[in-house]
Amino acid sequence: MWLDEADGFAEIFKGYLPYYLLVALPIFIIMSPVNPVAASHEFSVYRMQQYDLHTVPHGCRSSSFNLEGRSLTSWSTSRHCVVARVQDITIDQFMEIRSKAGALLLVLPKNDTVLSPEEKEHIQLLEMAMIQQEVSAPVYFTQWTPEYDDILQDLQHSFITDDKSGTALEAMLNSVSSNGYQIVVSAPTPQKIDSKPVTIHGKLVGRSGSPQTIVIAAHYDSLGVAPDLSYGADSNASGAVAVLELARIFSRLYSSASTRGGPSLLFVLTATGHSLNYFSIKKWLEEHLDSADASLLQDVSFAMCLDSISSSGPLRMHVSKPPKAGGAPHSIKERAGVPFTHKKINLADETLAWHHERFSIRRITAFTLSSLQSHKDPSRSSVLDSYSEASLKNLVSNIGSIARALASHIYNLTDEASSEDRDLYDQALGIEEVSVKHWFKYLSSQSRAPHVITTGSTPLSGVAAALERALSRYMDVTANVHTVDKREPEYTLYSPTRAVVYVYSVKPAVFDLILTVAIVAYLTVIYFAIQFFPKFYEEYAKLVTGKVKVH
Amino acid sequence: MTLYHFGNCLALLYAPYHMAYKFSGVSEYATFSKCVYAGGLYIFTQLCKMLLLATFFPDSDIQTSGEYNVFLEILKATVDFADLLGLYFALNAVPGKGHAKILTAAIGWASAEALVSRAVPLWVGARGSEFSWRYVGMCAAANLALVHTAAAAALVWLAGRSDLPRRLAPAHAALLALTPYRAPLEAAAGALLRLPADAPALLLLRAAHAAARALAALAMYAAL
Repeated sequence: MWLDEADGFAEIFKGYLPYYLLVALPIFIIMSPVNPVAASHEFSVYRMQQYDLHTVPHGCRSSSFNLEGRSLTSWSTSRHCVVARVQDITIDQFMEIRSKAGALLLVLPKNDTVLSPEEKEHIQLLEMAMIQQEVSAPVYFTQWTPEYDDILQDLQHSFITDDKSGTALEAMLNSVSSNGYQIVVSAPTPQKIDSKPVTIHGKLVGRSGSPQTIVIAAHYDSLGVAPDLSYGADSNASGAVAVLELARIFSRLYSSASTRGGPSLLFVLTATGHSLNYFSIKKWLEEHLDSADASLLQDVSFAMCLDSISSSGPLRMHVSKPPKAGGAPHSIKERAGVPFTHKKINLADETLAWHHERFSIRRITAFTLSSLQSHKDPSRSSVLDSYSEASLKNLVSNIGSIARALASHIYNLTDEASSEDRDLYDQALGIEEVSVKHWFKYLSSQSRAPHVITTGSTPLSGVAAALERALSRYMDVTANVHTVDKREPEYTLYSPTRAVVYVYSVKPAVFDLILTVAIVAYLTVIYFAIQFFPKFYEEYAKLVTGKVKVH
Repeated sequence: MTLYHFGNCLALLYAPYHMAYKFSGVSEYATFSKCVYAGGLYIFTQLCKMLLLATFFPDSDIQTSGEYNVFLEILKATVDFADLLGLYFALNAVPGKGHAKILTAAIGWASAEALVSRAVPLWVGARGSEFSWRYVGMCAAANLALVHTAAAAALVWLAGRSDLPRRLAPAHAALLALTPYRAPLEAAAGALLRLPADAPALLLLRAAHAAARALAALAMYAAL
């Protein structure tokens, strides 16, 4: 029976086991996974924009980090990841973090409605400042969740710094009671992604004999500080929706010979807008103007670009040359009753100001209609730019006035004399609110950053495919796929755009030492308790039974 | 958290067992093999209990809705009477005086329990980046398990004695009958006091419970 020999067995244990353990334990430790436990918090995070424009780098340049989390006030070195609410961080603080901190994790507000106008403006300005330059540290954005409140609270109030506590005891207590956080993002290193923007255009042919063409263009991408968060409702889902709605209205008018207007209408939807210097419209113009048969863009009367037409405020005509009286832009301006803003094209700037400048450079009369005062308005490149009922209302009324002005220009009506005429007019140019709302919601419900919409497996996928289908209901549609120059890329986009952050709650190293001391003290107590147990038993037995027991 | 933290937990978990074996005088009886035997009996008993549970409560693992079914928990705890039977066999296998029997069986039994049921969670959990008080609490609770096992072993041993004073018999029977239900009892007390599951106060409560049981068992042992 092996149990009878087990004393020898025990000898084996005593003699050799420690040496086996010396070999086996390191092997166990090496073999077992490095990080066997899941973090208590896991969130999806969205990486800041990264792109090169004419080889000038913009945005965040790296993606992975594994650093200790700190609040805005307590971080000090590049070994810290700053965690903050996006509305709390100032631009100066960001600049300091940009140059010194290890990483930045910004929590977006709970929802847009809780923000005051000042806070909104602050966030938009911050976004602009962030995107202007390159950031070498990883910067991530994340949607608000209740857990972030706890994490931010912990980081704010119980940060573990040894120099800020009054006494050593205080520091020790602080280190035991406080929670630290280790913040880990492991994402692939940033890589160039192949971008193939698509320009969709369709033509409504006017009465024969009038070769004039009116171009109506808008870009359908959006710009925000993080590609996966740029829903861009105003800039520029509104413009794209307006192009679709105008296409619907005029396709009905152009379908019968009696109501067909003189000039042809060319509707153009381009994939890349102000963020990438209107690259696709530039390529598209090159293709159609410089090719042998330039029939599409022969004799363009004017090009009307629609950009951000759903924010509050009256429409405004942005031109690079003041409209001459008698010219087509002037006629539209008068008929729409909008003021104009004149801004010369500045080729020295990194990006052009407005969409129409691409046309103006190619000597095509062009203007942009927008409800923004200036092309520098920070709301054009914000993650806060999202769908709202109020903007839908503005959009519908603006599309209405644009359609009216355009129709009045095409049919050359001087004024709407009688109310009967006006009714007829309203009927013909009626805006289908439901379809506008549907498209506006659809476009602003998803991220349309160039990183997302121009990098699909096939060029015509996602939003571009949807727009193409929508436009092809009214006319024949052509989709042009542009490619970036191989040797001197006009722009380069980088992945990844999103990742997962693991937030581990950790304790400082000194905590483990304190724990060791506590455990040693506990074991010492146990040791003496065992040593004194016979004595205790004697006393206890005397107490219980009233007589002396011999152990 | 780190390997160092794992070492801390390990020391907290196993050092008291080692000290109990080394310094209580049990080791002088050269009873290491008996401890191993008690440990083997523990594992065998657990297998039998698992068979019972799997046969009569097959859905207990599936039920993860968080609903605390009191009746089911009590029924499941009833199966722990098998532990007492196992302890009885372990006690019988150890020769010697009463206290040596009790300590050897209890240390072997509780060590096997600590090794089998705590080592793996500790290895997986305490070494990760995430810090949690749970593992420190678990190690401290394992020390209490040793006290509980010793008390249970003493009670089982006393049950086989005919010289237990008559007036103590009802109290002894009650204590013995309550032994398997200590986990539900502690959970109920924690729920009554509205303590969260990993509060240090709950650990203190369990320590008090263990101390009370141990002192009661000791009093009966002393009364022989």
